Amino acid sequence: MKKALALTIAAAMALSLAACGGDTSTSTSTTSTTSTGGTTGTGDTATTGNSTSGTSSDFDATVLYYAYSDTYISSVRTALDADLEAAGITYTDYDSNNSQTTQNEYIDTAISNGTDLLIVNMVTSGSSDTANSICDKAEAAGIPVIFFNRAVEEDANAGAVLGTRQNIAFVGTDAPEAGHMQGSMIGNYLIENYDAVDLNGDGTISYAMFMGDASNVEAIYRTQYSVEDANAILTENGKPELSYFDATNENKYQLDMTGAWSAQAAMEYMQTNLASYSEANGNMIELIICNNDNMAEGCITALQAAGYNNGEGTTTIPVFGVDATDSAQQLIAAGTMTGTIKQDAEGMAECIALLASNVMNGEDLMANTDSYTKDTANNLDNKIFIPYQEYTGQ
Amino acid sequence: MKAIASLKRNMAEFKSMDARDKRSTVADLLLNNAIYILLVIFVIFTAVQNSNFLAPSSLVNIISLAASSLPTALGIAGCIVLTGTDLSAGRVVGLTAAISAAMLQASDWANKMFDNLPEMPIPLVLLAVILVGGIVGLVNGFFVAKFSLHPFIVTLATQLIVYGLLLEFYMLNGNNGQPLSGLSDTYRNFITGTMFRIPTGNGQSVAVPWYVLYAIILVAVMWFIWNKTTFGKNMFAVGSNPEAANVSGVNVFMTTMMVHTLAGCMYGIEGFIESARIASNTANTGLNYESDAIAACVIGGVSFVGGTGKISGIVLGVFILRIIFAALTMLSISGNTQYIIKGLIILIACSIDMRKYLVKK
Repeated sequence: MKKALALTIAAAMALSLAACGGDTSTSTSTTSTTSTGGTTGTGDTATTGNSTSGTSSDFDATVLYYAYSDTYISSVRTALDADLEAAGITYTDYDSNNSQTTQNEYIDTAISNGTDLLIVNMVTSGSSDTANSICDKAEAAGIPVIFFNRAVEEDANAGAVLGTRQNIAFVGTDAPEAGHMQGSMIGNYLIENYDAVDLNGDGTISYAMFMGDASNVEAIYRTQYSVEDANAILTENGKPELSYFDATNENKYQLDMTGAWSAQAAMEYMQTNLASYSEANGNMIELIICNNDNMAEGCITALQAAGYNNGEGTTTIPVFGVDATDSAQQLIAAGTMTGTIKQDAEGMAECIALLASNVMNGEDLMANTDSYTKDTANNLDNKIFIPYQEYTGQ
Repeated sequence: MKAIASLKRNMAEFKSMDARDKRSTVADLLLNNAIYILLVIFVIFTAVQNSNFLAPSSLVNIISLAASSLPTALGIAGCIVLTGTDLSAGRVVGLTAAISAAMLQASDWANKMFDNLPEMPIPLVLLAVILVGGIVGLVNGFFVAKFSLHPFIVTLATQLIVYGLLLEFYMLNGNNGQPLSGLSDTYRNFITGTMFRIPTGNGQSVAVPWYVLYAIILVAVMWFIWNKTTFGKNMFAVGSNPEAANVSGVNVFMTTMMVHTLAGCMYGIEGFIESARIASNTANTGLNYESDAIAACVIGGVSFVGGTGKISGIVLGVFILRIIFAALTMLSISGNTQYIIKGLIILIACSIDMRKYLVKK
């Protein structure tokens, strides 16, 4: 009786899981995967051309995301799923759940399962060691790797992976670019609205900075360049530099300690800040810079609770983010948020899908990519940058 | 009056001791209350460094931060009393927060998850999320009670399952993992709206949000359940010795199920509050809430030994963690230090707690 019950429950669970997984196209073609398993399983140093035949369903790509929970990555996933499907590529998505170990294990499993292409969003961003070990595995299996979104090598070490390896590519963003853009956006905004932003009229703008993750290069650059570039514009126009609202904080930022770039962390910091910094005390925070839009939304929630940024009739503290998520665009349209930098998820997905079809059709991995911006500074033809764009809702 | 009488009696006892006993009694007293003594020193230090720390607006901030994390702690405490734990708490908060947000998005919000959903009545949504949380709790309780599985294993499993469902939920209806925000004003006012204002001088005042009241109500309800009901008494009996409880006619199975279900309901309420408090929900909402809640409970004297714990202790534990957060933020001390301090406090609190049992034995 008990066993029967346990079995029933196990079956019910398996069924419900299958139902949940229904919308990803993991189980599209079981017969064809076995056939591709045969070709790659021979273990010779086959390059991309060899393993593909005429029909598209023979080709099987493995896509590894660093975390499904990331908003921006979700946008990429949706776009990429659609693009790969349109290109007739069978693919399987994996959630590395913020663990490089998990991701490596998925890669091993996928390779032993005979995948033809790895599309990797590395968890440990900017580590050439991690990237090299992934490349080693792919090379041994004779399959190409397309890295995307998160940097594969240290900045001081440009070309350590991408310059030395064959059959790999990187599609991402130029990490400092978002920071630079955010900085110039803030600088220009302040020049136009200086007196309105300077609430206490002391001539300097005091700002707060919210950092998403201490070890992520994007976060580090955004934190650094958004302020530096804004300062450069201010100085050029004869204004004093921005000053961090809390003189005793040497970091000049407040950090989401879980590294999740979360709205909750930013909200709780901001709520605590607002307990001692206010207009009544003459030390109100006059500008908020966030590493991403989620944190910006968290700050806006805290500001709204304190009676700011509620639309007409209330003082609006300018809040800047990065990503241009749907909800941030809504907030900008409503006037409660000031600006953000758009990271082009569709553009990135399109480029990855193009490279993947190159592999499938037996062409060179980097074929037909001349129209994209590449890392010419380091002479890396296989490093493609998808540009950021300013977004202020206009 | 009773307290004063017992204090007098204690003083009389103390006077009658010899010098050595006196010393050890004082040392015991200091050690047993070390955590509170340290806290007082810490608060005084912070207040000296930054005079804003004890200003009304800062106190209101600490109270509202504590109120926001109370429901999870109150729920999880019951599981700890049963010598168990609940790792699924954070993800259940995440799921219920997502459901609340999706049900209560403003009708004019362009990225609404369910486009045609009319504005739902708040009590209905609250009931729905309590139900969702309760179901997860019921599943936890059933597997713990029926198959004598350790709650650590069962709730680890449900944590993963709920996270999977949560991720699926965010992909629903073309939402594609985008944050759920744009909540209706009625909902946000219901949670974060102003209950009353406390004047801070100069014609300024600081608002106390409604969810502080909800936390107080939950504390009262849980105090009643723990102390005044048969179920509460049974819970402590099962926690200290399940065999003995069983022999004396307590339904261990039902009690275990109920404790976990009640915990699940509390996470549902937490999700309902958090959703509006943060106002921008992602799949990360609720991440690691269980670890903070468990920490608050053990600091407050809810022992993993089982069968002991007080509601007042939980409230105190939650407050201690939030005071540390607010104080370190105001002192501009980096987050790294905050981890170390939290860790040390848990270690000290639990060591003191266990010391009592070791002395008894």
